[in-house]
Amino acid sequence: MKTDFGDIQLINRLSEGDKSALYQLYDKYSGALYGVILRMCRNKTDAQDLLQETFVKIWLKIDSYDASKGRFYTWAYRIARNTTLNSLRNRSELIQNEDLSVYDTKAEIKTGQENVLLKGSLKKLEPHHQKAIALVYYRGYTHKEAHEVMGVPLGTFKSYIRQALIQLRKSYANEMLWLWCIFEIMV
Amino acid sequence: MEKKRILEEGLLEQYLSGELSPELHRIVEEALHQNSEVREHFDLLEADFERMGMEQAVVPPAQIKKALVKSLEKKSMVRIDRTPLWIAASIAILFGIATLWMFTKWQNAAGNLKVLQEQTAELQERMYTIENNYLQTSLQLRNINNANVVPLVLYGNQKSPNAKVVAYMDHKRKAVIVNPQGLPVLPTTKTYQMWSDVDGEMIDMGILSPDEELVTLKYIDKAESLNITIEPAGGNDHPTVEELISFVLL
Repeated sequence: MKTDFGDIQLINRLSEGDKSALYQLYDKYSGALYGVILRMCRNKTDAQDLLQETFVKIWLKIDSYDASKGRFYTWAYRIARNTTLNSLRNRSELIQNEDLSVYDTKAEIKTGQENVLLKGSLKKLEPHHQKAIALVYYRGYTHKEAHEVMGVPLGTFKSYIRQALIQLRKSYANEMLWLWCIFEIMV
Repeated sequence: MEKKRILEEGLLEQYLSGELSPELHRIVEEALHQNSEVREHFDLLEADFERMGMEQAVVPPAQIKKALVKSLEKKSMVRIDRTPLWIAASIAILFGIATLWMFTKWQNAAGNLKVLQEQTAELQERMYTIENNYLQTSLQLRNINNANVVPLVLYGNQKSPNAKVVAYMDHKRKAVIVNPQGLPVLPTTKTYQMWSDVDGEMIDMGILSPDEELVTLKYIDKAESLNITIEPAGGNDHPTVEELISFVLL
């Protein structure tokens, strides 16, 4: 897997107990992980605690990270997601469904709850693609739960996710092309 | 087959968020390891996913990092390396098993030791008894097997024709030892009694029981004969002459 070389060096230092390596990884990934956590729990105070808890877990569990199986971000994302879901399950805001795995995001945003909207290339996607990505990657739903929320068959929902990611890839490629053109003009 | 399934069923997208069952998780990881096409697909997916994450980033307040630093520094939070713990736990388990085994062995040994001690005590007691018997027998043998002893045989008369008693007289030591085993058994109300005749007077020497091997009786000076009578159980002060069954002159 194509884990960034700089990340690998930081992870090696982290494995040896170098806390400064953790702080550097924090600087790089805390924003992305905070974005995930905040959108899932919709509460700034809780999200901040959960972000800290996520990095403490990264510190404690770094030896279980295997760079050959995926990027550091993917691994850290899963920790953040699971930490947040566990926290939500333990709180009264959780509305348990049959398999006790998810809180009810179908409910309207309550007063005092943060509603951090998606931005960037995701905003350019079609609404049903946006919603599919948001449910699975920013709300903590599984595919099986999310297709019910959207009221479409599971196969259709999976194709939404695939199409959305392909659209995003194209969008990122276009952005890269624009950046390259700008760079060439500047040079 | 797995490649087609993984790509068509969107398992990589689910693997990304960590929502697959352990079985599917294992299948995807194996495919990622073995199939370059699946791996390339996932590499692209991860890159897009990370980019999306960075795009959706929300800058956390600065105090979170400070709190993280504080929590790691102040509590001296140390990652637990499980390996030494496992080794320690294994050693502890082995030690526990060894201790239990040794305790069981010790219990068995203690039980065996107790049995041995009991057997030893019993053997000592038996040896003591045998030694006493031996000493007693040796003493009796010495008493009857020396040059000063005169053995006398008393045969039964018509009242007790089968009676036969041997008396060992040691005039030097002034001792009489009698073997009464040749006397017929009497009813429990009767007993044999031995007398010495001194100037016509019968003097009591003691009671004889056919059960005993050797009986030491009183030595009477100047006895002229030894006499055995049948008397009431417990003995008599004077001999019942009618019940005289044997005698021998000295």
